[in-house]
Amino acid sequence: MNLRRKKLWMTVTLAVLAAAVILIPAPALAANPIERFVMVEASQYAFTPATLHANPGDTVTIELHSADVAHGIYVEGYGVSAEAQPGQPVAFTFVVTESGVFRLRCSITCGALHPFMLGRLTVGPNWTLARAAALAGLAVLAAPLAVRRETA
Amino acid sequence: MKQETLARLVVLALAGVASIPLISGPHTPLLHARLAEEGGWTPDVLHAEAGEPFALRLTSDDVLHGFGVGHTDIEPVLVAPGTVTDVTLTFDQPGTYTYYCTVWCGLNHWRMRGIIVVEGETPSTAPPEPPLYVQLAIDIDAPHPADVTPAVRPDAANAPDAAVEFSFEQYAATSPAQLFAEFSRQPGLKDLTDAQRWNLVAALWAGQTSPAALVEGEAIFRQECAACHGQLGGGDGLYAEALAEAGEAAMDELAGTHDMMIQAPPDWQDPAVLLGASPALLHGKMLRGGMGTGMPMWGALYTDAQLWNVVAYLYTFQLNSP
Amino acid sequence: MNRVSLLQIPWLKAALKNRWPQFTISALLMAGFVFAIVAGLVGTPVGSRNFGIIAVWIAWWAILILAVVPVTGRGWCSVCPIPMAGDFLQRRSLLGPNGGRTRGLNLRLPKLFRNIWWQNAAFALMAIFSAAILTNPRVTALALIIMLVAAIGMSAVFERRSFCKSVCPVGGFIGLYSQVAPLELRVADAAACASCASKACYNGSEAGYGCPWGTFPAGLTRNPACGLCLECLRSCPNDNIVLNLRPFAADLEKPAARLDEAFKAFLMLGAALVYAAVFLGPWGNLKVAALAAGTWPWLGYAAAFLLICLALLPGLFWVAVRLAKRMAPAKPHTARRHDFAQAAAALVPLGLAFWAAFSLSFVFANGSYLLNVLSDPLGWGWDLFGTAGAVWSPLYGSWTVAVQVGVLALGAFGAARVAQRAGARGGLHPLPVSGYSLALTVVMMGLLL
Repeated sequence: MNLRRKKLWMTVTLAVLAAAVILIPAPALAANPIERFVMVEASQYAFTPATLHANPGDTVTIELHSADVAHGIYVEGYGVSAEAQPGQPVAFTFVVTESGVFRLRCSITCGALHPFMLGRLTVGPNWTLARAAALAGLAVLAAPLAVRRETA
Repeated sequence: MKQETLARLVVLALAGVASIPLISGPHTPLLHARLAEEGGWTPDVLHAEAGEPFALRLTSDDVLHGFGVGHTDIEPVLVAPGTVTDVTLTFDQPGTYTYYCTVWCGLNHWRMRGIIVVEGETPSTAPPEPPLYVQLAIDIDAPHPADVTPAVRPDAANAPDAAVEFSFEQYAATSPAQLFAEFSRQPGLKDLTDAQRWNLVAALWAGQTSPAALVEGEAIFRQECAACHGQLGGGDGLYAEALAEAGEAAMDELAGTHDMMIQAPPDWQDPAVLLGASPALLHGKMLRGGMGTGMPMWGALYTDAQLWNVVAYLYTFQLNSP
Repeated sequence: MNRVSLLQIPWLKAALKNRWPQFTISALLMAGFVFAIVAGLVGTPVGSRNFGIIAVWIAWWAILILAVVPVTGRGWCSVCPIPMAGDFLQRRSLLGPNGGRTRGLNLRLPKLFRNIWWQNAAFALMAIFSAAILTNPRVTALALIIMLVAAIGMSAVFERRSFCKSVCPVGGFIGLYSQVAPLELRVADAAACASCASKACYNGSEAGYGCPWGTFPAGLTRNPACGLCLECLRSCPNDNIVLNLRPFAADLEKPAARLDEAFKAFLMLGAALVYAAVFLGPWGNLKVAALAAGTWPWLGYAAAFLLICLALLPGLFWVAVRLAKRMAPAKPHTARRHDFAQAAAALVPLGLAFWAAFSLSFVFANGSYLLNVLSDPLGWGWDLFGTAGAVWSPLYGSWTVAVQVGVLALGAFGAARVAQRAGARGGLHPLPVSGYSLALTVVMMGLLL
């Protein structure tokens, strides 16, 4: 009986912690929205820089330069894209609103590994990985609770 | 056993249907685009009839390419990997046309060319005139540095009023630096300041072209030239370094003159380089190509008039037009 | 024993006992398999527009790793078209036993082959060429042809489905992960089997051919040994075969402690990590190296791949297991190798979660290519269903990340749970193995998110 109770308490505690990890919002940044200009070079099969960063409210201009064959850049979550041929850079501007991690993908078939030509746009402080790791940690802690005692 | 027979028939039928493409092949043969290193266009010689619609099915086997035909007003189309683009061409005049890739697809992009031989009754035309640089006996491979260069950027808008006769023939045959030097000796003009004389040169140069022509020249320059020559003509385009490296690599293996090896393009931001070149010389370079320097031959793709517009645009790297 | 037999459902039992439903699915898959080879050989060399690549590496792979393996275990093996030709060669029959006659040399598989080291080797061999296989239709076609030819060849020489059991690189990991599935084929009453005179399930009879996997169902304790071909269901004279729903990962309660399976687990774990870095990472040079088979950078990549899978991950795990032994309250005398192989069972749910999370990243982003290749499977300009021109649009969003995190957390949970149970049994403290699993999970999260 005592053991059961202890288990119940631990389960509740872990569930509350998991809910907290998922739901507690990231601390808001006091930064004022700014305009950002980034030059991104695309070549088989990478973007340089591979990770772009901005804060919610920022106006981001990406100027895409293709270095070998024609490439495109598609910003997941925002649905904006541009396509550039070598020697003919193309720029586009969008306002980032939602925070989170968004994939950048090449949008023109640029060779065998084109579907795997990826970059990242992180908007705001990136808590996704920390939250995910914390959840995995809680999951591991929960494991003993799910094992029936064979001698009990 | 009846069930077994049915099962066997099902398997044979399904396997047979799935194998049909092995023997059928596509309905119409495809024109394949590949990187020049991988073979370029396949096939690279096509045959058509003048006045007859000529259907082509284009596909790319690797990256995005484009399809355009020189000396025609056929709108270029994109040729995307793994998909088929249908075009129907009609050639009014028989002759040999060059088709080419219109999307920069690497250092050897410009090698992606093929020809369409259009058969038909040849109308009696006069044999083509030799190009101007040949008529003028200009050695377009010789160095042509400007003896004098302006201290400030010449500007056509500030040119002094001076009645100077200036024909197209003069324009074509003379470099801006030569014209400036001539002006320095001419009675009515030698009293002007250097800057005024340079502004006059700029005005005469501008008089040989038009805003619309410059727009076309710039469009062609951006499309075809900027990848090596640089957006502003500085010789620092995307592929400039690779060209120089390819040249060095080739020279290690081959014997040849260094002037004619693959090399980085000239720096037209340097007045001494650009202002020493006459329009006919630049025109000739484009028309004929660099004969080994890596400069493609544009004569097969662009008309004389188009190339003259590009020439006029090049001078805007040094001379302000109004 | 918290098991429910699905065969209590009369129509399901009838559908499974009848050979036609299974044969029909298998025959259709065979047509797809042949067409994937044909498309790979004569279709466009552009992978994303070739049926061979998209059908195999997007459609089949997604269904296999996200649904079929986690839910049914070896359900794919049940309908896999690859053994069809070899089976026919042996039995001269597509349906049923054909009087029990067998052709071919019918040799017993040498002991050397009666393990999954060959499957490990076959998988490792495919894995180091994976970038080319995954993107080049010709290479995919070649890989499929090699598998088909090897399966037929082995059927001609050895008895039963020897290719499936000991060589097939796919069958190896399906078997490993089938231990997680909540489905199992077992016997209802082992005593009835002991007294059964015919052992028709193993030897074959008029009603059905003998187990192609060489398994005697009464001895079945773990899913990897059963290919779910369902033939014993048809041949058993005592109606003693059951198809149970069971708790997840039930096979891992009493792990096999086999070193070949342990290394299968490390290979799969390492491959998922390396692929996540190669295919989903931002490193262009790494992608080019993985693709350029035969070059020096590729040799470096292949060497690194094998080192990570066969030395680094097992090495760290060895340390964790030694630590677990030291920390355990009671220390039964077991061989170190045995401890190591037994503890590796925790990596089975972990690896499956890694693969599911990795697959979620690229399957949905590239899923819209399915529309293109269904209408124009060869890139020849066909438009069968009017979708050849569909514009690429990734089905990917924040929900994918949420699902990936959930799946990876579930994997870590499963690993820790197996470590708890198996640890209690084998005298190993669960903490080091749980910590190892958590650490790798965080690395995987870092690569995927």
